[in-house]
Amino acid sequence: MQLTEKEDAVLEVQLGATRSEGGTREVSYRIGGETKLPFTEAEPDRLLVALEICDETQFWPPVIREYVGDLADQPDEWAKTAERTWGADLVRLNFTSTKQRGFDDFPGITKTMEQVLAATSRPLIVEGSSEPELDSEVFRRCGEAGEGERLLLGTAEADRYRSVAAAALAYGHAVIAQSPIDINLAKQLNILLQETGVARDRIVIDPYTGALGYGFEYSYSVMERIRTAGLAGDADLAMPMISAATDALAVREVREAAAGDRDAMAVAWEFYTAFSALAAGASIVCVRHPMTVARLKNALAAMQPASGQKEV
Amino acid sequence: MKALEIYKLLPKTNCKKCGYPTCLAFAMKLAAGKADVELCPDLDPETKTLLGGATRPPIRLVKVGVGERSVTVGEEFVLFRHEKTFYHPPGIMVHISDTWPEEQVRTVAEDVRDSVVHRVGTDLMLDGIAIRNESGSPTQFAETVALVEACGDLPEVLIAADPAAHEAALAECGNFLPLIHAATDRNWRECAALAKRYGCPLAVRAGDVKTLTSLVRNCVGAGVPDLMLDIAPGSLREFIAAATRIRKAAIERTDPDLGYPIVFDTVPLGITDAALAAGVLKYAGIIVTEPLSPASMEAALTLRQNIYTDPQKPIQMTPGIYPVNEPGRDAPVLLSVNFSLTYFTLLGYLEASRIPCHLFVVDTEGLSVLTAVAGGKLTESLVAASIKQFSLNEKVDHRQLIIPGYAAPLSGKIEDETGWKVLVGPRDAAELAGYLEKEWRT
Repeated sequence: MQLTEKEDAVLEVQLGATRSEGGTREVSYRIGGETKLPFTEAEPDRLLVALEICDETQFWPPVIREYVGDLADQPDEWAKTAERTWGADLVRLNFTSTKQRGFDDFPGITKTMEQVLAATSRPLIVEGSSEPELDSEVFRRCGEAGEGERLLLGTAEADRYRSVAAAALAYGHAVIAQSPIDINLAKQLNILLQETGVARDRIVIDPYTGALGYGFEYSYSVMERIRTAGLAGDADLAMPMISAATDALAVREVREAAAGDRDAMAVAWEFYTAFSALAAGASIVCVRHPMTVARLKNALAAMQPASGQKEV
Repeated sequence: MKALEIYKLLPKTNCKKCGYPTCLAFAMKLAAGKADVELCPDLDPETKTLLGGATRPPIRLVKVGVGERSVTVGEEFVLFRHEKTFYHPPGIMVHISDTWPEEQVRTVAEDVRDSVVHRVGTDLMLDGIAIRNESGSPTQFAETVALVEACGDLPEVLIAADPAAHEAALAECGNFLPLIHAATDRNWRECAALAKRYGCPLAVRAGDVKTLTSLVRNCVGAGVPDLMLDIAPGSLREFIAAATRIRKAAIERTDPDLGYPIVFDTVPLGITDAALAAGVLKYAGIIVTEPLSPASMEAALTLRQNIYTDPQKPIQMTPGIYPVNEPGRDAPVLLSVNFSLTYFTLLGYLEASRIPCHLFVVDTEGLSVLTAVAGGKLTESLVAASIKQFSLNEKVDHRQLIIPGYAAPLSGKIEDETGWKVLVGPRDAAELAGYLEKEWRT
């Protein structure tokens, strides 16, 4: 039984490049390619769990700072642990240092990029600049340091997308296109990006994910709408989606949990948000608590189709 | 069927015995799936059957339990919540085994009875208890049910393969309308007879649609109208795929025998949180789960609350001045909009920052800052009128207003219109704390 009018597929986007593909990654991923809603077809879904890390932890949730301890000061070790110990499919590196007033350590960006790329074997998502004035230099540095690696570079927004698009074009990366919880704004931004020359199969939609209990219902429905529109043949929305519930660990329930319960609450809040985003059509979910990664990976492993899945 | 087609089949006497003023009004209610054809006393059985299939809600409304804590599920109309609201949140029933020691049974049941999560002015609670006959003994099953009954009037699901176990348990709780789980192709006659005798809802369980629909027909034929479907999923993926197909078939009325709520027993799958989330998101009416940790319970109940809100009515904050972190008369005033998502995001960051301030929420009809500015809903005259309406000048000693970064184009106009000094804040709530620490001076 079909769930949509047409059997169009979500575009495939490649993340990362192996040596034979011109990069240095041990694996590369192809996300997208779905023709049906998540978990309803017989083939396995290509879903990924990314752990977010950052280069300046004063802007990071306290619950994570405490959990990761000394790793917080070493993005490369943090990234390595994310993949090898905590089981993340890939890492999302946030250059939170660019939030600091008067930031000018551009060489530091290049250095951190090189260190993290050397420490990880998987494709990398990079969240570069947080300041419009810094965009062009920061994205250039990130893009250049990862040339040939097919990074997923973020974030393009409607009123500031040229710098990140330019870096993606110049150095061969894919782009995260973020719009504030609205299917039309998502479509508009995708069109703008294509006009700058970014190919359709280099765009990953980020419809912005509100935290569970704090507007998540809008995010969930917008993801469902984007996915069903893409499957119904709207080419400008037929891109894979990424979901990062950035605010999930800033919510009252996590902050005010008793010290002994705080990790459990953080993980529950992230897990329910991320799992729901996957069910709504996201291809990559990004979380910050290492324990959430394992719980999501377990759930996804249990979701693999058994051979000869029964037709009900 | 359209209202006029239905009307043609009605007696056209306008006798009002159905509770509606005219036969046409009744026909319109039937067409909308909002009335029961049984309300008309003058229809012949043949017409009733014809109309019943076409006009009843695509998914039958089924109630489990009695009294205040009873759970009513079904009567849903869409596949996606952006099309129309999901109306009846799934009942979450916590599993208890009849092999557990008394103390454990009592603890879990009391925990379900008493646990409350307070969110956005609402109390969220778990719904009931599912008692599973793992001992194989009808007597022990009945004793465990009696133990749960003694803890309060929580709705129950009785899970047993053996009709004798159900018979023993129903002697304890049959009048409180537990869900009998489950009739299969082996035991449906006995289970249906018990459900009929006590007027209880009955779950039918089969791994394929053909058996499921024939069970439905058999049980309806045996006089049990309140059914639920258990698709006996072997994995979480099978549950989502099958539940989606059944929901679609039901709302499109392609298979009326599938027009019943789905019951999802997650316990055999062994992945509690994922299964619970999937049940909430993907069409379960009753979910049976392992006992939950406080963290999982809060997150699951919050997810359920989120998914079962009306998508056409964004939750709006009432405009006004909201104190955050006990602000004094020299604390900063932050202008914001009454889109609830904006409000909650701001509040989260501000409370975390521990910086005292006044959150000044103006009425943008629930639009976000960006859309309100673009759509002309956030204007200098609205800000001026709101300052007057909420007597902002009496709340603080200074005359400075911090506006959201996205409203920067309005800064000059707001200064001119209000006489207040306008500071342009960051666009991202996450940066507010840093901004206030550096920029705020009275």
